Amino acid sequence: MNTGDLLHVVTNDNISPARAGFGRAILWGSVGLFLLVGLLQTLQAGGHLELGFTNWRPTLYSYALMSACLCWAQVLIRGEQGKRVLFVLPAVLFVLSLAIIPLIFGLIIAFSDWNLSSPLGRQFNGLDNVRQMWGDPFYWNALKNMVWYALAILAEYTIAFGLALLLNAEIRARKFFRVAFLLPLMLSPVAVSWMIGKSMTEIRFGPIARLARALGWDNPSFFGTPEMARATIMLMDAWTYIPFMMIMLLAGLQAIPKELQEAAKVDGAKGWRAFWEVTFPLMLPVSVTALLIRLIFKLKLADIIINVTSGGPGGATDSVTSFIFREYRDRSNVGYGTLLAIVYLVFIIIAMLGLLKLADRWLRPQT
Amino acid sequence: MKPGLYEIAARQAMTRRRLMQGVAALGGAVAMNGMALRPAAAQDNLRAEILKIPGVGAGSPTDADWQKVGEMCLGPTKANVAEGEFAGIELTFMGLNNQNLHNVLFRGFLKPWEAYTGAKINWIDLAQADYNPRLQQAIATGTVDFDIIEMGAPFEGDTAGKGLLDPMPDWVKDQIESDDLVAYLQPPVGTWDGKTYRITIDGDCHTLSYRKDYFGDGAIGGAEMPKHWEDVNAMSMAVKGQTDPLTGLPAYGFLDPLKGWGGFGFYFLEDRASAYAKHPSSPAWLFEPDTMKPMVNNPAWVQAIQDVMDLNAAGAYPADQINADPGATGFQQFLAGTGAAITWWGDIGSNARTSDTSVVGDVVGFDINPGAKRVYNHAAGAWEETENFAPNLAYLGWGVYVTNRVSGDEAKRKAAWSAAAHLGGKDISLWMAAYPSGFQPYRNSHFNFDEWEGAGYDRAFVEDYLGSNRDSYNHPNAAIEPRIPGIFQYYSVAEDELAKGFAGQYGSAQETADAIAAAWEKITDQIGRDSQIALYKASLGM
Repeated sequence: MNTGDLLHVVTNDNISPARAGFGRAILWGSVGLFLLVGLLQTLQAGGHLELGFTNWRPTLYSYALMSACLCWAQVLIRGEQGKRVLFVLPAVLFVLSLAIIPLIFGLIIAFSDWNLSSPLGRQFNGLDNVRQMWGDPFYWNALKNMVWYALAILAEYTIAFGLALLLNAEIRARKFFRVAFLLPLMLSPVAVSWMIGKSMTEIRFGPIARLARALGWDNPSFFGTPEMARATIMLMDAWTYIPFMMIMLLAGLQAIPKELQEAAKVDGAKGWRAFWEVTFPLMLPVSVTALLIRLIFKLKLADIIINVTSGGPGGATDSVTSFIFREYRDRSNVGYGTLLAIVYLVFIIIAMLGLLKLADRWLRPQT
Repeated sequence: MKPGLYEIAARQAMTRRRLMQGVAALGGAVAMNGMALRPAAAQDNLRAEILKIPGVGAGSPTDADWQKVGEMCLGPTKANVAEGEFAGIELTFMGLNNQNLHNVLFRGFLKPWEAYTGAKINWIDLAQADYNPRLQQAIATGTVDFDIIEMGAPFEGDTAGKGLLDPMPDWVKDQIESDDLVAYLQPPVGTWDGKTYRITIDGDCHTLSYRKDYFGDGAIGGAEMPKHWEDVNAMSMAVKGQTDPLTGLPAYGFLDPLKGWGGFGFYFLEDRASAYAKHPSSPAWLFEPDTMKPMVNNPAWVQAIQDVMDLNAAGAYPADQINADPGATGFQQFLAGTGAAITWWGDIGSNARTSDTSVVGDVVGFDINPGAKRVYNHAAGAWEETENFAPNLAYLGWGVYVTNRVSGDEAKRKAAWSAAAHLGGKDISLWMAAYPSGFQPYRNSHFNFDEWEGAGYDRAFVEDYLGSNRDSYNHPNAAIEPRIPGIFQYYSVAEDELAKGFAGQYGSAQETADAIAAAWEKITDQIGRDSQIALYKASLGM
């Protein structure tokens, strides 16, 4: 008789010693098999044994078997308690297999000298990649550019808020404008790159260039100087993603109870004051969410840059991701590229945690 | 053949009169020579016959056409392989599927070969952009899963240099008649440490494309297209501020792409630098062979960089040129009527008259790359005041290689080489050169313009365009691609540093060149200096 958690366990498990023993057998048997196969393959990879393995699939298969046995054994050994564990265990194993273990492999690669063209293959090189990163002006330049790109979100937010207010107002053809303003978000950034970055801004025939000439700019150039190129990239990215923030803010605006605004109106708050004292504070939770999600999108900015400027002129438009793309793909520099990505990940995690903390502090008085 | 060139011919389809001329000529030749020349006539006849499939002007070839050509060109295979000899053997072939060419054609060509030999081929098709990562990852992770590979010569360092390829048997050399290859594709290209690995199926080089209407009596560019880079720069300065004779828009001289292109953009600085840096006394012009010390910051390369910086500073390029990659320079600028001249691969020639966006078809001319009035002797450390031409044989074209997966199984090895040799055969190669295949001419026998004219091509254009290719291929001082591991890593990082230099982030051309050299030294150290030295020397045949 199970004398465990009688309050929550509704069935009376009568687990026989044989069943529990079988459960323990398959569990430890599969763990042993996994360790044995992994050890043998590691020994072969190290040149100590020759067992005829041609790839690491046997280890993978034994890992999958161990995972399945682990789940099964929970039920065999622990009955209903085990079944309850099964609600979580597959997800844990999934995260472990597809996030944690690859991350560990990523860390191993990050501290390696692994140029795919090197005949020596992957070599552990300690902190050399960190030192190289420290002295790599291209990487720090890309990080600096990311700060500019991130700051541009504030301007995007302002425009998005304005558009959301507009679409929330009783204007003509409101539904049409809602759809029209959303269109850029539906376009792939690669399409935006070619449509705007390569065609519309083409200096001879591009319609934007023609318009610029008509407005008195004799020799329009949208990517000729670092500042101009960076600004053009920011504009293209903003054009694509402002609708995303706008739609989130619009949803927030529509969720504000009308009574609050009407009460403010009765109290004499109109126009700017009604917005600043009532609407904006009520919109802060949505705003913070929109800003953080937009920041996450922005930190991944690469496609437009890769397609339009390749990071140029002279690295002026490089994002960290576009730089890592060149380092990793064009130069097959897997070790260094992975380290840069891991460091960037750490930066992102720290920045996002900090921002969430700040947002929490800002929002507390209002909520 | 590049598809665009075929389209030129398609527009000028053979007329009945020309057909009758050909028939009359053929009849006359037969009457004069009688039966005595039957074997040679049979060979000529085969070449003429395959060129009729499907016929220039009869639309794009289909899978049925490729199979028919493959069937007709099986003669050399039958001489070396018995029917059904490879029954039960399966091979895996990895290659490209760009523009529905490459592997797509190979399937058709090899279907009759499969039927005859009994072997079966499995296919791995890759887009161009996926090719390098797929190959490098397969090599790095020890998961080479293909027996035959379509591959560019620059990757020989990554494959042959690591012992991943199978050396070509002597019977294959005879079957493909490798002596017919143009000079620059002869060994050491395709060889490594004295062993031959490659069946060439393509040729590549940069040539000069220029606007004839910029030059001539009273033309804005001078009497004729300059032959030397020094004069090319002077011409670019001179046309600045004038009006393009074709478009009526501002005129520009020579167009350099100033933005990177995944490493491929560096070839365009090489076009300038090879004239200054490739001394006839040495095949090396990128690295010192004994030390792998970069030559990219010697005075010759610095001069090439300075030439570009001078034009940039003088405003002799179109606005936004700093953001123009080779694709934009060739297709959005030159073909659309901007600029007097560019250097590019054969695509510009083949698109000039056929692309809907090209406006220069009637005024385009071709030549080998410009030379220089002086050349730097790196060994002596001094300039020599002698004229120097050094066409840039950029990329060296595609080849078919067999991997060492088949080396332990003689029957499979023979099957793999037989399949590869079928694709690299002399007659089938003429068809590939003359019809859309993705490949340029690469054999001396491909430059028999009579065969092209007989197939319906415009003689004058073919002579001009193909002539510039032929003269580049066979140039005694042509600049050869260094086939070392990671060559595109060197090119890619050079592009980044050049972009910084062109954007004014370095103080001078010398500083820019020094930054490239420093980055190259790092790559060499990372890949392994000693092995790079050995492989570099091997690739240059030293």
